[in-house]
Amino acid sequence: MTEQACRECHRIVEGVVCPTCGSSSLSKDWSGYVVIIDPKRSMVAEKLGITLPGRYALKVR
Amino acid sequence: MSDTSIYVVKTTANQERSVANLIAQIARKDGYDIRSLLVPDVLKGYVLVESPAPEIIEQAIQGIPHARTVIKGSSTFDEVEHFLTPRPAVVGIDEGAIVELISGPFKGEMARVKRVDAAKEEITVELFEAMVPIPVTVRADHVRVLSKDEVQR
Ligand SMILES: [Zn+2]
Repeated sequence: MTEQACRECHRIVEGVVCPTCGSSSLSKDWSGYVVIIDPKRSMVAEKLGITLPGRYALKVR
Repeated sequence: MSDTSIYVVKTTANQERSVANLIAQIARKDGYDIRSLLVPDVLKGYVLVESPAPEIIEQAIQGIPHARTVIKGSSTFDEVEHFLTPRPAVVGIDEGAIVELISGPFKGEMARVKRVDAAKEEITVELFEAMVPIPVTVRADHVRVLSKDEVQR
């Protein structure tokens, strides 16, 4: 099964609604994969504007 | 926040995401100071790992299937930053360019680009083989721009 990513916040979502931002605009068409473990101390998280740990897509169509 | 660097872990091809997931799992469980993992699709067989030291990653990948080695040396954040902003699919496709459709119902057909929609990452083309030149809108990543040599053949 292809996982879906939230078009708003790019989080990889397992259900039908994004638990982070509440959006139901999800897409199977995404690329690039990021896992944020420690957002407060991660340069990658800072650059991407991610404040919550989790799995994200770099690009979502 | 500059106490981390980016290290590169070599993996079996097509196992990049599962290796990233497993490293994340181990890091959380055993408390390894790994702050993020990055799998840009353009980098086959590698996972980028953000951490203060390579030894931490070397320990964390022990026993992780498909994770091979930590490549010697580190990258600064600036060197990998471009991976975080993927190139829009329309870059390099200009109006008037001749393209080959490489995916979708018109796969294999040649066409001329009439319009580029950067925001939607779509392009509108006219197929050469069509009896009537009807514009068709396709995804920008479904075409390949032909070089001048290929066009003249
Ligand atoms: Zn979201």
